[in-house]
Amino acid sequence: MIRYSLRRLILLLTTLWLLTVLMFVLHQLFPGDTLTNMSGIRFSDGAAYQLAQQRYAMSHSWFSQYGQFLQALLHGDWGQSLVTQRAVFTDIMPQLGATLELTVLTMSLSMLVGVPLGMYAAVQQRGPLDRLIMGVSLSAYSVPAFWLAQLALLLFAVKLGWAPISGQLNPLFNITPHSGSVLLDILLSDSPNRGAAFIDALQHLWLPVVVLTIIPLTLLIRITRNATLDVLQQNYIRAARSRGLSDRRIMVKHVMPNAMQVVVRQLGMQFSLLMSNIIIIETIFNWPGIGSSLIKSIYERDYPVMLGGLFTLAALILLVDVAVELYHAWRYPQVRKELYADR
Amino acid sequence: MAAVLNDRSRRWRWWCCSWLSLALVACQPASHELTPLQQGLVYCSEGNPEGFNPQLGTSGTTIDATASQLYDRLLDYDAEHQQFVPALAERWEALDNGQRYRFYLRQGVQFHHTDWFTPSRTLNATDVVFSFQRWLQPQHPYHAVNGGNYPFFTSSGLVNLISAVERIDDYTVDFQLSRGDSSFLANLATDFNVVLSAEYAQQLIAQQQPQLLDRQPIGTGPFEFVEFRKDVLIRYQRHHQYWREAPFFEQLVYVITSSANKRMLKLLTGECDVIPYPLIDELKQLDVDDEIEVANAVNPNLAYWAFNTDRAPFNQVDVRQALSHAVNRQAIIQAIYNGNARQASGILPETSWAFSELDFTHNYDPERAKQLLQQAGYAQGFAMQIWAMPVQRAYNPNAQRMAELIQADLAVIGVRAEIVSYEWNEFRRRLDNGEHDSVLIGWVADNADPDNFFSPILSCAATQGGNNRTNWCDPAFDQQLAQALIATTVAQRRPLYHAIEAYAVQQAALLPIANSLRFQAHRVDITGVELPPYGAISFRHARRLDTRSKLEQQP
Repeated sequence: MIRYSLRRLILLLTTLWLLTVLMFVLHQLFPGDTLTNMSGIRFSDGAAYQLAQQRYAMSHSWFSQYGQFLQALLHGDWGQSLVTQRAVFTDIMPQLGATLELTVLTMSLSMLVGVPLGMYAAVQQRGPLDRLIMGVSLSAYSVPAFWLAQLALLLFAVKLGWAPISGQLNPLFNITPHSGSVLLDILLSDSPNRGAAFIDALQHLWLPVVVLTIIPLTLLIRITRNATLDVLQQNYIRAARSRGLSDRRIMVKHVMPNAMQVVVRQLGMQFSLLMSNIIIIETIFNWPGIGSSLIKSIYERDYPVMLGGLFTLAALILLVDVAVELYHAWRYPQVRKELYADR
Repeated sequence: MAAVLNDRSRRWRWWCCSWLSLALVACQPASHELTPLQQGLVYCSEGNPEGFNPQLGTSGTTIDATASQLYDRLLDYDAEHQQFVPALAERWEALDNGQRYRFYLRQGVQFHHTDWFTPSRTLNATDVVFSFQRWLQPQHPYHAVNGGNYPFFTSSGLVNLISAVERIDDYTVDFQLSRGDSSFLANLATDFNVVLSAEYAQQLIAQQQPQLLDRQPIGTGPFEFVEFRKDVLIRYQRHHQYWREAPFFEQLVYVITSSANKRMLKLLTGECDVIPYPLIDELKQLDVDDEIEVANAVNPNLAYWAFNTDRAPFNQVDVRQALSHAVNRQAIIQAIYNGNARQASGILPETSWAFSELDFTHNYDPERAKQLLQQAGYAQGFAMQIWAMPVQRAYNPNAQRMAELIQADLAVIGVRAEIVSYEWNEFRRRLDNGEHDSVLIGWVADNADPDNFFSPILSCAATQGGNNRTNWCDPAFDQQLAQALIATTVAQRRPLYHAIEAYAVQQAALLPIANSLRFQAHRVDITGVELPPYGAISFRHARRLDTRSKLEQQP
């Protein structure tokens, strides 16, 4: 396990390092002044520009420039926005919080609903409910998220008035974002209207979360169903049944843990899929996360913000991927055995 | 198997219930008082402001967000009675044949008390002198801070007009002018001439953070700045010690909503109380008169198509006239403004006292256009760009669509046009660099003086860092403008402006398209939101009627 973990971690570090090299190269390739792209400081800023020139070793070789760039990146000095002149790093952190809040809620919701539904469908294989669940999940999977979001907005927000159209919270509640996750921020704030704000935040949250959940949910149902069907045909299930164990015990003790192995392996991929959807959903719901800020920075040609957002998203996807793989290998020893046997 | 599921669903129910009860517990204390929702107003603005000081900007978004909320001026213009009314100056007098103006300041005017600044004194002459010296004197310590561009003051000529601002005593300030100028008071009453706090500026210098002057602003206005989150919101709160009647609302929040559709939907659901630039036709079709009111205000504006005369072939007057003849403006009025606008007959709108009944503009005549192109040596036509604004403005609700109509008109005379657009701040930056061939843009007057329709958009002074998007610079034209300003009576000035207008239109550096109304929509329980014809939206008198019934509607 230790060797496996080390291998994964080294691979992670190498990928992250390659990512920084790519960022550095992109800074050179973007139109305009390289230093301005990197630091967000314009030539017209005078003294600040000269300071930045020294800071980033602009007069030296590319190699030492990269060294300085990497150092700044690691110190959380990601330059300043070309539009607002605010530090990129301090602005991205609450956005990351807002994005993570959506992600965590979406993933939990799809697990909590998808796994039971998938197992239920497997047990009822070829029954009417199985067909219904599979049919609905297949059609939901084929609906593009952006279209679904617009439809949901029209129905639930405009027609029925069950949810507000956009944002995280009614802006009249004066809650300062620290973590970016609106629920956490409300709970940590000392506002006298915390309770009302919390309800309001939940009203803002549920629609984007439900829309985002659809894609991973439909996939999870299908994966769980197939995995459960596979497990149900194994000999140890037959053996357990012949020993007279109850159906319930078989499902909980033997089928579920083994079926989950396949599900967990897929989670990393689900996450990166979710990330690409979250960019669209955040833009539609004006959610102040990394995705919507990335889209705006592209539109505004704000290179420091753009690359900061890209780096954060890419690093997040990589980290989650490695974390899932490590968990998978730690939780299911038979996987580890396969890995070592391969070599 | 059913047992398994039952077990699961029971757990599910438990999970749901625990969340629900948590939510209910959390709800308890708030059920009696929903104060922040009642005492606040949400205005869904159309974009991010460039900063929080109107001295540095000219875009309507910046002015709407700052001028009437955070600041006051020496005097205000009352458009209804067409007269100047006292504001921070209690009274003023003209001395030395109109070459010196003396202002007597109001006493006891409080600046905002905020977390980052506590004023030790009330407003006095030092603050007024500081606010004007900042843009007047290039060597002033604050002149270069945050860009050092003061577009309104350069393009209106105030920089050259005011030769000195002097403090006589604590509550008296003198303005020394380089010549008599009949538009001086009108210019002084515009939204750009705000009064900042000299004490705050001093404090920022000591902290070595002078750039915060325009980002964490301090003023004397009815609302105090609380926070700005780009693309999300601007939050203001009531200035309790405001020298006039303090505003009704405890909180004023600008929620930045750039999509016109989303703004309209949010108004319908009650997430916005007031929105600018509504989609008039869509609102009418929805039949929501009992919830939403649409207000319009006469707005002295002009939508125009400017040709960048620095670039070939737009440096030839024949080409510019040909393009002017090629556009079917009547169709544009119908398609873009739905008839809520008047086809421009010159550069001045009907509201101006110098307006002329004569139509100076080039009529729609594609044949004539082709002839002119031939004369200029472009019988085969040419390729060009039309830049279209990405935002709605009072003068142009849909520049993209307008560009498409013009594109079709140009195809008839053999000119191949390509439509270009960028994000608004980026768009303006590139316009400043002169990267455009032609641009669909417009102008809203800052004051009632007719000079405000010529100097800021067509004079030589406005080509650098100003609003002259045509880059057309004609010394003879500037001479005419200067003469019209020296004349003092309306009767003397009116014919001069007629001549100026005729000349400008004949030179065709820009094609005047339309004068339109400015619209704003609000929920029926909001009153008192003011849209003055010259200047920014003001929430000083806004209030919410019958808050009880509103409470029930809040989502």
